[in-house]
Amino acid sequence: MQSSPNMLTKFESKSSRAKGIAFHPKRPWILVSLHSSTIQLWDYRMGTLIDRFEEHDGPVRGIDFHKTQPIFVSGGDDYKIKVWSYQTRRCLFTLNGHLDYVRTVFFHPELPWIISSSDDQTIRIWNWQNRSLICTMTGHNHYTMCAQFHPKEDLVVSASLDQSVRVWDISGLRKKHSAPTSMSFEDQMRGSQANQPDMFGNTDAVVKFVLEGHDRGVNWVSFHPTLPLIISAGDDRLVKLWRMSETKAWEVDTCRGHFQNASACLFHPHQDLILSVGEDKTIRVWDLNKRTSVQSFKRENDRFWVIAAHPEINLFAAGHDNGVMVFKLERERPAFGVHQNQVFFINKEKHVRSYDFTKNVESPSMLSLKKLGSPWSPPRTLSYNPAERAILVTSPSDGGSYELVNLPRDASGAVEPTNTMRGTGSSAVFVARNRFAVFNQANQQVDIKDLSNSTTKTIKPPHGTTDMVFGGTGCLLLITATHVYLYDIQQKKQLAELAVAGVKYVVWSTDGLYAALLSKHNVTIVTKSLEQVSTLHETIRIKSACWDDAGVLLYSTLNHIKYTLMNGDNGIVRTLEHTVYLVRVKGRSVYCLDRAAKPKVLTIDPTEYRFKLALVKRHYDEMLNIIKTSSLVGQSIISYLQKKGYPEIALQFVQDPQTRFELAIECGNLDVAVEMAKELDRPKLWQRLSTEALAHGNHQVVEMTYQKLRNFDKLSFLYLTTGDSDKLNRMAKIAEHRGDMPSMFQNSLYLGDVQSRIEMLKEVDQYPMAYLTAKANGLEEEAQAILEASGLSEDEVTLPSMGKPTAIPKPVVPTFKTNWPSKSTGMSSFEKALMADGDDAVVADANGDAEEDLMGEEVVADANGTLDDGEDEDAAGWDMGDDSVADVEEDFVNVESADTGAGSSEADLWVRNSPLAADHAAAGSFDTAMNLLNRQISAVNFKPLEERFLEIYSASRTLLPANAGMAPLVNHVRRTLNETDSRRILPIIPRDVESVLTGEIAAGKNAMKANKLDDGAAAFKKALHLLMVNAASSASQAEEAAAAIQSAGSYVLAMSVELERRQLIGGATDLSSFDDETKKRALELSAYFTVPAMDPQHQTLAWFSAMNFANRNKQLGSVLGFANALIERGTNAKFKETARKLKAVAERQPTDAIDIEYDTFAEFTICGASHTPIYPGGEAPVSCPFDGTQYLPKYRGTVCKVCDVCTVGGGGSGFRTVV
Amino acid sequence: MDPFSADGELVNIHTAFIQGQYQLVLSDFDPSSFSESNRLPVKVLQYRAQCELGQASEVLSAISTADASGSPDLAAVRTYASSLGKGAQDEKVVAEAEKLSEEQGDNLTVQLLCGTVLARAAKQEQALQLLAKHQGSLDAVALIVQIHLSQNRTDLAVKEAKGARSFAQDALLVNLAESWIGIRQGGENYQKSFYVFEELAQAPSSAAATSLVAQAVSELHMGRIEEAETALNQALTLEPNNSTAIANKFVLETIAGKDASETHAKLQSVDKENEILTDLTAKREAFQAAMAKYNPKFEP
Repeated sequence: MQSSPNMLTKFESKSSRAKGIAFHPKRPWILVSLHSSTIQLWDYRMGTLIDRFEEHDGPVRGIDFHKTQPIFVSGGDDYKIKVWSYQTRRCLFTLNGHLDYVRTVFFHPELPWIISSSDDQTIRIWNWQNRSLICTMTGHNHYTMCAQFHPKEDLVVSASLDQSVRVWDISGLRKKHSAPTSMSFEDQMRGSQANQPDMFGNTDAVVKFVLEGHDRGVNWVSFHPTLPLIISAGDDRLVKLWRMSETKAWEVDTCRGHFQNASACLFHPHQDLILSVGEDKTIRVWDLNKRTSVQSFKRENDRFWVIAAHPEINLFAAGHDNGVMVFKLERERPAFGVHQNQVFFINKEKHVRSYDFTKNVESPSMLSLKKLGSPWSPPRTLSYNPAERAILVTSPSDGGSYELVNLPRDASGAVEPTNTMRGTGSSAVFVARNRFAVFNQANQQVDIKDLSNSTTKTIKPPHGTTDMVFGGTGCLLLITATHVYLYDIQQKKQLAELAVAGVKYVVWSTDGLYAALLSKHNVTIVTKSLEQVSTLHETIRIKSACWDDAGVLLYSTLNHIKYTLMNGDNGIVRTLEHTVYLVRVKGRSVYCLDRAAKPKVLTIDPTEYRFKLALVKRHYDEMLNIIKTSSLVGQSIISYLQKKGYPEIALQFVQDPQTRFELAIECGNLDVAVEMAKELDRPKLWQRLSTEALAHGNHQVVEMTYQKLRNFDKLSFLYLTTGDSDKLNRMAKIAEHRGDMPSMFQNSLYLGDVQSRIEMLKEVDQYPMAYLTAKANGLEEEAQAILEASGLSEDEVTLPSMGKPTAIPKPVVPTFKTNWPSKSTGMSSFEKALMADGDDAVVADANGDAEEDLMGEEVVADANGTLDDGEDEDAAGWDMGDDSVADVEEDFVNVESADTGAGSSEADLWVRNSPLAADHAAAGSFDTAMNLLNRQISAVNFKPLEERFLEIYSASRTLLPANAGMAPLVNHVRRTLNETDSRRILPIIPRDVESVLTGEIAAGKNAMKANKLDDGAAAFKKALHLLMVNAASSASQAEEAAAAIQSAGSYVLAMSVELERRQLIGGATDLSSFDDETKKRALELSAYFTVPAMDPQHQTLAWFSAMNFANRNKQLGSVLGFANALIERGTNAKFKETARKLKAVAERQPTDAIDIEYDTFAEFTICGASHTPIYPGGEAPVSCPFDGTQYLPKYRGTVCKVCDVCTVGGGGSGFRTVV
Repeated sequence: MDPFSADGELVNIHTAFIQGQYQLVLSDFDPSSFSESNRLPVKVLQYRAQCELGQASEVLSAISTADASGSPDLAAVRTYASSLGKGAQDEKVVAEAEKLSEEQGDNLTVQLLCGTVLARAAKQEQALQLLAKHQGSLDAVALIVQIHLSQNRTDLAVKEAKGARSFAQDALLVNLAESWIGIRQGGENYQKSFYVFEELAQAPSSAAATSLVAQAVSELHMGRIEEAETALNQALTLEPNNSTAIANKFVLETIAGKDASETHAKLQSVDKENEILTDLTAKREAFQAAMAKYNPKFEP
């Protein structure tokens, strides 16, 4: 008999003596009836008291929830049975009838009945719908302490202080009440005397069995949910198990252990267990099959009175002298360990299984761990060792034990493991490939053991250590109640400590750099050296966590999956119906185990946290991508961005002008602000803009806002300060026009215009002032005139002494011409990303064209043809090669038998294994590599390939430092990672086909778009060279490569044609200054530019340029042809528009001024060397065996101008990129 | 009792040496704190560590000719140290090593150090013969394994390691030797080797540039480019001028298709004799030679 002091208590309440308990079947609620007459309704998950019901007088002993209706029933010492609604929170009605205390009340599982037992020795059944008593069962001759319906059958079981347990048959009652048929006279007779014995002395309920065995009163009795078993608890301190058949019932066994009155008992709803409570202050758990004690829990001071089980989940509640406790019998967190794409876990049957995240498949059981620990305690943790394919499982039973088990290679059912190692310890975890640590809480010691289970090292953990988990390679995390310690096993010393209370679980990120420490209500993220990164608090219990590959922690609470970033930003990802334990996050899928240890995949929307993460990491491309592909954009994200100090980014997403204005002001983007202000045109906005612009020194914007605001004074002053006297003059005129005297005066002051000032003063009859002004500025005549006008003489006026008239200030710098130079902030990288992406989008759109697809298919088909040929031919040559390999292999064996001497290097094997030049180059056998290229595609000029060869060669070998003092070991890097057969291994080739397609080819196309043809041609040539010496991973990739070569060839040709034209005329658009010969050639080249096959949007560019060039030079016939092509096949709407206009003009006189050799309607190709047309039907052209560019026959034997490597018209077995 | 065994006095300093923590070998261990019989091996290990740290001349000046003539161990160290100095592989040193190995072939230090000198002077057969005389020394086994591997005799190396595994079980050197072989063999063995290197490299007590480089190499062979880059950068943080690390970084960048010229230049500045560099120069010449056999005709 063991006692486990650590009962898994989920909730405890403090109150007076709890006599009755009922679980709500769905919600996390519990009803508690108290000795103090109160009924409490608790939410045991949140730990809150939801409601109190206080209408009973005296103790309430019986309580029950209805399974489906929002009602419950209670029975008390006031003889009353009350039915309540918890929605309206009041008593619906009271059932009166009992003549003494009511002990228990229960609802019938289906019928609208209530059963009650009472100290008046009767058991009564009531109908709560019509609120009537339908049956009174008499027979017990002492208090009846408990009576319950059978969950399925028409039976009732009751217990009484008369020491008996009775089973009653109530099928008669059901018949009577469920089928109201037409009533005969007899029925009516009987109905009128309801509940009276019929003529044979029978009632609706008859005693079926009387079970005698207890030798004191019986306090409680219950049916087994499925089996014909009964359990009873009595004052004789015994718990008795009874069995019944159709005809009889008998005592099976007795569970002895309580040393005081046993007050209640029940069967575990799902497992073969019995639970009982007693006045000896214990809860005891018994094995139903062996009737032995499994577990017991003792409370210090409180006697237990009642126990109840949750019908669905693994929860129990027990009522005692001072309240109620809700508890679990076992942990539901399944033991699991994750390795790369697999999780290993132990299910409820204690079978070890695995689940593959990539295939989404659960494996069959691999092992059965039935014998591990005690039968009723599930394993607590699992640690997986991928190197040894072993698991280390701990179980809490017997004070903790661990077991080291090797997993079988293939899952072949739940076999018992062979040769396991075990020992005692509360935690055990692998710390290295061949070492594991075992922590023993009892003697506070950590043992490091090897795989044969012998201790190699012993460590003394810090005082009060409660748990130990993996702490990174070679390290442990030791957990005490208040701290976590990082401990290095090798050095036997503590590396770091962190004060975190109550850590229960630790979850490491996939890269092992961060760990999340989970306690009941806190998540603390730490680095691998135990430095705290962030921490957060949750009011609801945290169950589990796992890391997204991007470094976001997802964690689950009882009812949510949430996320937190490293900086502590967090939020809800989704809600949960049932508790789950997160195992792995991959993209939109969260893999988890539920309480029954079944793998589940939940779908989440990771957009929000991905976006926030991208923002934190400033991955603008990714942000942009997220914005484009998901419906993220909303007010919430904008306010988030703004709050986080990224108004300039938020600006990119907002459409609403008002918000845009606000954001633009905030991030100082005046251009946008002006644009928005213009759109909105509200004085208030102009006002704010003017202030902001002034602060920027952007006086041009300021000027505009003042104009908009009609703020003339400020405008004048602005012109004055910027020295814009023209505009100041204009302002003066405006002021005059408006008749605004003060303004006029102001302006004249600014302008230093004395004359107009005097005029003005005169006009308003301020002659003294006018005189003074004139005098002060030395305008004697004017002064005199004023004197005369006012009839005064000079003597009559006394003037202060005056100096010289002030000179009119002249602007030193013409500030008004430009704005203050401000430091260019450039485009934010985000804006750049935005721009770049926009361009790409255009390309992507164009790629969607049907035309392109058709063309693409053709090319692929072509490439297919050549490839097939190539393989056939080459295969013939290769048979020989295979033979020779076999020979060498024999030689190799011979060498092996000799004891010494050097062997052949892996590079030699590569040469033998592959017919690809790239592989030979990797092996350093440049000679044979060139030979191969020469044979396959008649390559002769290898100079351009030099860097490529050396690049491949340098990627092929690594240096592995080994013994001190020796040169490092040279190892050869393979692309066949899983191959060990020496005849199949092949070297790695850097810059694979994929990277060329996304790198050089894309760069070339962008250069085409940007009209940087030199760069473009160089990029395409580079691509050709990279592809020429390469290895494809599959046949389909080889096709892709072949297609890319064709297309790159066309681009190179097209670009060199256009480049020749530009060189010829040096970028001039008008040809009139050139001689006829040059004119003709330039026009021809411009036309030929449109011939080689390019992507539709680039073809469009070629047509457009040719059309415009022709148009400028009055080649209206050609214009018509190009315009037609554009209209028909172009991808750019604007160009098409232009084309239509030009077409309309050209159609009036479709002739060319100069006759050029270009026929819109004929099919022809362009010679790669001379850049002249090759018409079909002429002398057969020759072509480059690599890129397929065609040449006039006279160029046979020269080096191809496009790829610069191969011989034009050279034969060859064909290009290949697959082995 | 074998002083190098798990409980022996020398185990910690020896382990530190194997793990490439040479600075630790010098700083953390004081010969006088060891028992009488173990002082010489400690001193030898410290001299070797000094050599690894590029202080060969200090070692030479620390051991007088008289010391050397009195003790074969010190004589071997002297020979070894002089082989590292300027004009490293000159014949005199090799001859000295040969002489020493003939006279004192049973001394372990002589076996190891002279074996190394011989192997580096491309006299692998002689080195192997000398090393074959060892009496259960794992250092000797590790050296033999490496020599076999450098001769591309993986089969013999496997045999040697298997033999050692039978008497030394899980010793670090055996694990290392097996891992070196694993990187040659490939397939599943890459992963196994990786575990060993990673364990050494990631544990704070055993981390050293050497093991980080080894970890990176194993990751590189498994195609885990990014992880390998992380490990190499870690190694370079520890030892910014570790030429092997730089050389491997050059390889890695080439594989990843990045611009490796900067790393190439760095390698050149740190160690212009590096195998990769000399090899590349040789290959460039080979390319020119091979190219010269073809006569491309250009269109006039």
